This record gives sequence, structure tokens and C-alpha cells, in this order.
Amino acid sequence: MIPAKFDYTRPSSLDEAAAALAGGGEDAKVIAGGQSLLPLLRLRFSYPSVLVDVGGLDELRGVRDLGDSLEIGALTTHYELTKDPLITAHCGLLAEAAGTIADPAVRHRGTIGGALAHADPAGDLPAVIAALDATLVVTGSGGSRSVSPADFFVDYLTTSLAPGEILTAIRVPKLDGWGYRYEKFHVTAQAWAIVGVAAVAQRSNGHVTAARVGLTNMGSVPVRARAAEEAAAGAEASASALAAAAARADEGTSPPSDLRAAADYRRHLARVLTGRALAAAAGV
Amino acid sequence: MLEVSPDDLEWDAGRWAVRGDPDQGKSIGEIAFAAFAAHNLPDGVEPSLDSDATYDPDNFSFPHGTHLCAAEVDTETGQVRIRSYVAVDDIGNVVNPLIVEGQVHGGLAQGIAQALYEEAAYDSSGNLVTASLADYLIPSAADLPSFTTARTTTPSTLNPLGVKGVGEAGTIASTPAVVNAIVDALRPFGVADVPMPCTPERVWRAMQEARGASPAAPAAVTPASASGPGPNPDAQAGSREDGSAR
Repeated sequence: MIPAKFDYTRPSSLDEAAAALAGGGEDAKVIAGGQSLLPLLRLRFSYPSVLVDVGGLDELRGVRDLGDSLEIGALTTHYELTKDPLITAHCGLLAEAAGTIADPAVRHRGTIGGALAHADPAGDLPAVIAALDATLVVTGSGGSRSVSPADFFVDYLTTSLAPGEILTAIRVPKLDGWGYRYEKFHVTAQAWAIVGVAAVAQRSNGHVTAARVGLTNMGSVPVRARAAEEAAAGAEASASALAAAAARADEGTSPPSDLRAAADYRRHLARVLTGRALAAAAGV
Repeated sequence: MLEVSPDDLEWDAGRWAVRGDPDQGKSIGEIAFAAFAAHNLPDGVEPSLDSDATYDPDNFSFPHGTHLCAAEVDTETGQVRIRSYVAVDDIGNVVNPLIVEGQVHGGLAQGIAQALYEEAAYDSSGNLVTASLADYLIPSAADLPSFTTARTTTPSTLNPLGVKGVGEAGTIASTPAVVNAIVDALRPFGVADVPMPCTPERVWRAMQEARGASPAAPAAVTPASASGPGPNPDAQAGSREDGSAR
């Protein structure tokens, strides 16, 4: 199908981009890799009046070491996330999860900023950055602000980005010494996750000292499995103890029932996969 | 083409030539091409060069074969993985082995997809809800095992080439082989059937039903999840099961 008519602009600075977005108001959309947006345009689920292509903004590229955290430019592709030495060394969960997204062609075009701003609860990276307690850096004509994942993701395909604001970077705390696992449950390799579980855990003396769990596709936004996290903290690092903690993984979630799975099955999957992800993260 | 009367032409060794002037002639190939290409036909002559022949075999050929599928079922999630697939087909004499391998591989992918993935699903209003390849799942190479294929050769007696059809051998045999492997793997759990396509959720529900649980009642699961080891202690204790079928 052919998209509805739109204007296209490719600014050469962040200020120009913010101005172009602000000028377009609610009808302006940022395009980066286009792997989520272009299908929506072709199906006419989305028909912006202007597309602001941020592909020329080199300041949105690359990964920087900030000491205790990494700053990942919004234009970093999924493929780059899987290969970047800083990310693989300090944030293995992000590299592992990025490697499960769609197929190689998509991973070479799609970007972390685009995937997060698209805010699809079935996407893999939103739950991952929720589990990592990352910070989203948002820039507009009035300057920059930092947003937590909980405040960034508002609803299905909806973020708290205001008109004229661009997601420019993601700051991820280094989790050196933590174990991690992204358990993606999907029917075919290229299909979206029915449920995904992103877990990181710290282990000491045979016990889990801290755990964080983000859930993919268990609600209209990525959610943290707080009850399971609390139950896992202090638990023995064993499959049975972590499965018991994981039995609380679906507490507070409101998973959808759709073509791929009913809500009760999703709850069951969240419990099973959280147990597996925690066990792997804790080195069990 | 030679601009002489037909009466002045004579046929010799695959050519029409002008009588008394054998250098002045055209081969049957040149004449056929001129009729087919139709670049310079006389007025009133329609461009055409066709030939039809019909072969009426005494009977259809009968390929046969045996397919074996070893499938693994994750009893906690219902996910099915094909661990090994062997297809031995007898399609008589083979003219082009590479094309035959391609037909078998493609047929296996299609038949496995029918068993595990492909479904034309409709909503309660009759709308097709699997109308794109985002929803109508088909496997890629990443979802399929490396097939083991072999042939026996029993030439057909029903045609001069001794050949049999290969196009549907893979599709016909593989769907039941996969489903039978799944049901065989789940036999210890009391499962006698899983509806196609055997999605993880359908496999999981078949196991729930066999256990006497009430999979059709999500409400029973929702509040119970707040405490206890989950509704399926058996599943958590159980390991993944192997099964095979032929």
C-alpha cells in the first residue's frame, strides 16, 4: 500500500529538528530507521503531515562511557547494541535482547530510540530498559529533561514526549557483576513476543541479593514485576526458590487477550519465564 | 521468404529450396522462427506457431514414502520444537535431483507450518484476522530443523519415464508426522489430541484439560497467582519430553 501524502524534512541540527517538530505539532513524526513507522504509514494506521528525519543528526549516534553509566545515542541500531564493546561489557541484557528483535535486516535499520519512542508493549527494548532502571533523555526547544521508563511509557504506542520533543539518548547504569537474561517467548523467530521477561540479578554467597524484572506484552506499557523482584531478593539462588518468587510475576499486570494468546496463558507464561530468567541471571 | 511460387519449391534435407537453385533456400528452423517472431509476415497471415500433444497415461503414478518426526514439547509453556526430521520418498526415476530436493524441502516446510503455525482465523463477525504475514505465521529457516532426506527408487510402470509426482510428498506426509509426534510426546500426560495448528497455547490447554483443570476459565487462574507455587506444580516439576511418530 502507499502512504498518505506527507512532507519530509531532514534537519542538520537538533535545534532545527525540534523546530520542525514543534512547527508540525501533533501531526509531526520523527523517523529514524523506519522499521516500525513505515509499516504503519503503508497501512495508513498513521498519517502524519510531516516526517522529520533525524538520520543526519550525528550527535544522536554512538555510545559514551559516563563512568557509572553508559549514554547510548538514540540512533544506535539494534545490530550495534549487540556488538558495541561498552554495551556487551557493562549492559549485556541490552545486547542479548537486541539480538532477538525481528531479523537481521530490521536490526541493521531499527534504532533503540525509535523502538522506545514507538512504545509498542510487544517490543523487546521497553521492558529491558525498565528492568535496567535506565533514564531517557528527551530534548526540545526548551532544553533537555530526563525521564524514567515509568513516566515515559504512558499507554499503548503512547509516550509522554511532548510535541517538539525528541528522544536523544538513553542512559543505562552499568551493572557489572550482575547476571542477566532476556527470555523471549514467540512462536516463530520473526514474530513478536507473546511474553518477554528481562531479568537482572546480583548474587552473593549462594543467595540473590537484588533482582529486577521487566515484562514485555503484559499490559499496555512495559511493566516491572515488583512482587517477584521483592520475593527474589534474599532468596536462595536455586531453581525452586526462584520459581516460587516468579510465581508472583504477573501480580499487578493486565495482559491483553489477542490472536496470539489469552490473558490467563500470558500470566502463566510470565510466571514460568520469570523463573527461568531469574535462574539464568542468578547463575543457577 | 524466397519470393517464388510454392510450385517452384522443393524439399530436401530439412530445407525448402528453389527448384534448380539449391543455394536459394531456408531451413525449417528459419521458417519456423519467421512464423513465430512475426516481424515481417505477408498481409493476411496471422502470426502463430503452435504444436499440441496429449499424453494419456493408463493410470496415475503412486509415490510412497515414510516420514519420521522427533518433536520436543516444553511441558511448561506448550512450545514445540522439531528436533529431527527424516523424509524417505519413492518418486520413481529422478530426472533432476536438485529440483526434487527443493520440492521435498519446500513441501516439508509447508506441511510443518500447517501443523504448527498457519491458520486462517476469523473473529465473531466473520472478519479474517490473520490477513497479513505479521499475523498469519509462516516459518523461516530459523524455525525449521535441518531435514534428512533420502530416496528409494521404484520406477513407475505407468509411464515410459518411470517417474512419479514429488510436488506434494512433503506436504502430505509432514503434517500428520508432526502432530502425531506431539501427541505421542504428551501421551504420558493423558493428551490424546491437539487441534491444529498446535500453537503453544493450544498444547498447554490440551495438557491442562487432560489434567482436569479448567483452562477455559481464566478467572480461576488470575487471583490464585498471588500465592502458592502457581497452578501447575506438575508442570514445574516436569522436564521436557521427547517423542517421535511415524
